Amino acid sequence: MTLDLPAHAQERLKGLRASQHSTGVFTSDFSVNEFLLVRKAGFEPIGLCVGSCVYHVGIQYGSWRKNEEMTVLSRAMYHARELAMSRMRAEASAMAADGIVGVKLTIKRLEWDANLLEFIAIGTGVVHGHGHAGFRAHDGGPFTSDLSGQDFWSLLHAGYRPVEMVMGSCVYHVAHRGMFASLGQTGQNVELENFTAALYEAREIAIERMQQEAGAARAEGVVGVDIHEGSHGWQTHVIEFFAIGTAVLPLDREIAPEKIPDPIMVLSIND
Amino acid sequence: MGIFDWLKGPDPATQAQLLAAAERQGDIVGGLRSGRVPRAIASRLDGARTGRLPWLATLTPAELLIARSHGLTPVAAVSATCWMQYGWSWTEGHAQGWHMALHRLRQEAREAGANAVVDVKMRTIPLDIEGSMDFSLVGTAVRLKNLPPSEHPVVATVPALEFVKLLEADVVPTGIAIGAHYEWMTDWRGNANMAWMGNSESAALSNLWNHVRGLAHADLRRRTAEQGNGALAHVNFSEMFEKEGGENQPKQYLARHIVVATTVDIKRGTTGFSAIPHEIGMVVDMHAGGTPLTGRTQHHQSYASNESEGAI
Repeated sequence: MTLDLPAHAQERLKGLRASQHSTGVFTSDFSVNEFLLVRKAGFEPIGLCVGSCVYHVGIQYGSWRKNEEMTVLSRAMYHARELAMSRMRAEASAMAADGIVGVKLTIKRLEWDANLLEFIAIGTGVVHGHGHAGFRAHDGGPFTSDLSGQDFWSLLHAGYRPVEMVMGSCVYHVAHRGMFASLGQTGQNVELENFTAALYEAREIAIERMQQEAGAARAEGVVGVDIHEGSHGWQTHVIEFFAIGTAVLPLDREIAPEKIPDPIMVLSIND
Repeated sequence: MGIFDWLKGPDPATQAQLLAAAERQGDIVGGLRSGRVPRAIASRLDGARTGRLPWLATLTPAELLIARSHGLTPVAAVSATCWMQYGWSWTEGHAQGWHMALHRLRQEAREAGANAVVDVKMRTIPLDIEGSMDFSLVGTAVRLKNLPPSEHPVVATVPALEFVKLLEADVVPTGIAIGAHYEWMTDWRGNANMAWMGNSESAALSNLWNHVRGLAHADLRRRTAEQGNGALAHVNFSEMFEKEGGENQPKQYLARHIVVATTVDIKRGTTGFSAIPHEIGMVVDMHAGGTPLTGRTQHHQSYASNESEGAI
């Protein structure tokens, strides 16, 4: 591989071409590889899209002996994320983006108030290089996805396109054990069935909600599903299950599976 | 050494050393003040440019290999520092400090007769000296085969491998752009005090954020336009503080946002094949770990900030 520099790049390196660009600046949070692969996939980044929301989460106490969803907290966690995401999407719409790639969703606690959480959604707005409109979401707005640039390229080559970043949240209170039950089982190996059941139910609710969102976006499936457990300064037995993934649809011209080239097996020798 | 030797003053050799050190210091300060590369450094760079002195590269052997196969010749390691005291603004002090360091790095690269500086790393020495910080850049000045030296060398914060990957795609990494903004909000009506409220958004603080981030990004665009037409932002840093107002005084909130990006110069409308002028094949890495098909990186960082709290 030798370097035959494109003329544009050569002139810039010679310091000949004017470096002042008055218009058409794009911003993104891509790495070099992501940037190249997104462009290889036929898209141009146009701008960073950010949405944020500072949210005061209400207070709710679970009853000591009961497994139950903390609906106030669930609703807060979902609503605040939804606000941040929709603001990010509004920014993308304003710059006429076809979609947002590499969305990162973060939550920060503000130090002076335990009930104040800050939600930030950030991603890079992209447009199709040839103005192909078929990549928009079902409502005609930009698609959203938490896939990296690399994953985005792979997804398109697998014959699918991202539609919407979908999520489901469930904040759950796990019941405390009664004193007699604990005493009676001292020194034994026993499954704490109500704890197990609590995690099952909470996780299931989060997954179901995410799946419903995907259905509402008329997606065929969801890739990259991830389920997180987290606690945001609540009581010890309160936990949030958060399911997130990217809902996908087949490309309008579906790629037959046999057309997708087999990957080559390699063993990288660097450690 | 006798106990009264200190009365005699330093011996001639030490004296000469002290003098040389003082001269070098004077030269560096003089250089910084008059905005030129200090003489000692200029002569080292000149030596490397003309081949009188050996070349220096921050590249690893593997990077050297790829640099050479793509027509890059390392010339000299270049560096620049600006130690800034934040006067009235921490946030804007950061932007100013990096911009000054960047300007000085470019000067050194020009002295070295380079077309570009690659592998530029942003460094800060972990010395917590009140109200100030150093902004340092270190990189390798390189020349491209068959190109005359540039009056405006580009500064690439990417390693050599990524530099050539970008050049092939007709994308030139050109420099670093910093967008920064901060703002104080005085909460006259106590809007941000929500201690007794249920689930609700804090509109006052959300708006403050949106405003500050929006302006930081606008600043980034403006700074980017001076050097290229795109920005790959690798650092997005934001903080918010509450300040008690004192007796009968309202609380104040400070929000600040800094975004640091590698700027690129790119020909628009070249997506698709010319974005990477090779076919991309899929490989399955049989190496343990490190493959996207087995060990997945995290999709998002929702819980990165409070991981230590754990579950249940």
